[in-house]
Amino acid sequence: MSAVSGFEQWLAPAEAAASGLQWLATRRGEARARVQGQGVPGTKQEAWRYTSLTRLLEQGFSAVAESVPLQPEAIEHLLIPGLEAWRVVLVNGRFAPELSALAGLPAGVRIGSLAEILRTDPDAVKDRLNTIAGPDQPLFSALNTAGLDDGLVVLMDAGTALARPVELIHLSVGSETPRVAQPRHLVVLAAGTQAHLIERYVTLTYALYCTNSVLEVTLGAGAVLEHQRIQLESPDAFHLAALYVRLGAASRYRCTNIAVGASWARTDLTVRFSGEHAACDLQGLYLVGERQLLDVHLDVDHCVPRCVSREYFKGILYGKGRAVFDGCVHVARDAQQTDAAMTNRNLILCEGAEVDTKPQLEIEADDVKCSHGTTVGQLDPEQLFYLRSRGIGAALARRMLCLGFAGEILDALTPEALRMQVTQEVGRRLEQAT
Amino acid sequence: MLSVKGLRAKVGEKEILKGLDLEIGRGEIHAIMGPNGSGKSTLAHVLSGRDGYTVTAGSVTFDGQDLLALAPEERAHLGLFLAFQYPVELPGVNNTYFLKAALNAIRAARGQPELDAVAFMRLMKERLKVLHLDDSLLKRPVNFGFSGGEKKRNEIFQMAMLEPKLAILDETDSGLDIDALRIVADGVNALRNPERSVILVTHYQRLLDYIQPDYVHVLARGQIIRSGGKSLALELEEKGYGWLGIEEAA
Ligand SMILES: Nc1ncnc2c1ncn2[C@@H]1O[C@H](COP(=O)(O)OP(=O)(O)OP(=O)(O)O)[C@@H](O)[C@H]1O
Ligand SMILES: [Mg+2]
Repeated sequence: MSAVSGFEQWLAPAEAAASGLQWLATRRGEARARVQGQGVPGTKQEAWRYTSLTRLLEQGFSAVAESVPLQPEAIEHLLIPGLEAWRVVLVNGRFAPELSALAGLPAGVRIGSLAEILRTDPDAVKDRLNTIAGPDQPLFSALNTAGLDDGLVVLMDAGTALARPVELIHLSVGSETPRVAQPRHLVVLAAGTQAHLIERYVTLTYALYCTNSVLEVTLGAGAVLEHQRIQLESPDAFHLAALYVRLGAASRYRCTNIAVGASWARTDLTVRFSGEHAACDLQGLYLVGERQLLDVHLDVDHCVPRCVSREYFKGILYGKGRAVFDGCVHVARDAQQTDAAMTNRNLILCEGAEVDTKPQLEIEADDVKCSHGTTVGQLDPEQLFYLRSRGIGAALARRMLCLGFAGEILDALTPEALRMQVTQEVGRRLEQAT
Repeated sequence: MLSVKGLRAKVGEKEILKGLDLEIGRGEIHAIMGPNGSGKSTLAHVLSGRDGYTVTAGSVTFDGQDLLALAPEERAHLGLFLAFQYPVELPGVNNTYFLKAALNAIRAARGQPELDAVAFMRLMKERLKVLHLDDSLLKRPVNFGFSGGEKKRNEIFQMAMLEPKLAILDETDSGLDIDALRIVADGVNALRNPERSVILVTHYQRLLDYIQPDYVHVLARGQIIRSGGKSLALELEEKGYGWLGIEEAA
């Protein structure tokens, strides 16, 4: 039996997407070898201790590429009212130019489809693609790399600026055979540039599918990226996300991660500081209900001195929902004057729900300010009574308190129309919970 | 409008209300005084339906309905309001949103249409003025980070917005400065009408200079042990509770 039994089907399109680029073929081939060289991780492996892959394997996803032609009207209801953005739409992982909005980009800025750039100007991405994720990729990143062909690319040269956010809409459309889309995104901000990236994973219909995305981000010196990632996959879907972020000196990165959809979701956020005085702010909200499993892993590597990181994740669990928060902040021996604080707060609405939370600090330096904290609690009966004594029904009162809890994270979403849209969706899901 | 008869209530195994009788008529203002720990807040909580109390005997009717059979929100829909001795902070719940949800829930329960945003804002501005409250409080989470006095005024502001038929003010005067006390009293007086009744729980005669009560009761050891007019409050102020045959709490 092959060690990767179950995932061969994910590898299929590597040959299909032959590009004639030697360097690309080599990178894909190495990833393929890596996939074949490692077995399916079991729950004995620390990174998968709480999350079994059995359910994912059982679905028999395959990476069949099929184009799904859609008219712009089909996605109109998914757009954020009033938001003017440079928009890249991927349908089942493939660039859909007719749905995207990229006309009139300023000089020195490239925003578009990876497939297109690999075809027309591969040298623009050659030195960046797959270099942040590095050679030791875990299984799902390696699977993505082995089949790497399309996704979002944002490249900003020094001295450029963007007046609008960049919006990625990853749209999944169900198909007869359950398929996996493996979009690969690359964001490179040169020194001194600023951008706002909104990533949204959405679906047109309830459907069974899998998304296995990888995003690589590089921020040059002093660059600033505001990144919002909204996962609203179909309730039946499987969602894997690996984010690899490299932060240059004095750069700023803020990531707001909202995970609401999917029946099975796993996020790995890996951040590495490569220059001093940089700061990253990783925050997130997960909402996990009946039949849902969500697993968040953070890996923040302070390998240079004088950087600041904040990790703040909040979760609401209900039904038989199950979540895992596994955060690790590592401070290298030389990384003096690191300032890091990690917090994970969970609200459990009913008895069947469960969370395993494991924040960890690994500190080798001696002059640092680091902390971590975790809470798992329930709604406060005093607060509930206060609301009800004002005439607010029990269900709405519970929902208001949950939204109050979530608001701390949701309030970071901009523009306002996005915040409202996501807040409404969270409220709608909470109706089932309260 | 409110009739409490022989009410007995326990917290856990401890009996706190021990056969309490109280009749409140429409439009009347009743002051309830009494030593610390005598059961005043417990009475307020039992009336408003807070969990954690077991009523073992007696009855409470409000406008002819069995109050004790109702959920807290249903009591609010009937027109009952409690200004908390210790208002609860609701981090993340916006004050305006909260008030709007409360007002519209009450209106919906009474078969009235929801107030639209404009009408709601107008009402809010008007009531804020009466209470000399800064409208920045509206943009903040309910009571979160409010000063003690702001919390108390926010309670009265909510009362002014929700226009209850019976308001129970549990030591709303405690912790207020002299100006705030007058403002709160003005707020209550502005709401006075022949249809509306108030229970003032207080330790201080001073509040009663501003809000003239029709009746004053002394609650001690879980019962109303004495009732009288305004002069009873003056007498208590002067003599303490000792002369009524009870010790003042330490
Ligand atoms: N949850 C509880 N568990 C145990 N005892 C309680 C609880 N709640 C109230 N009590 C007790 O019941 C008694 C009455 O309390 P209550 O708060 O009603 O007094 P009060 O008259 O409002 O006092 P104060 O004037 O100090 O506000 C006190 O002895 C108090 O300790
Ligand atoms: Mg009290």
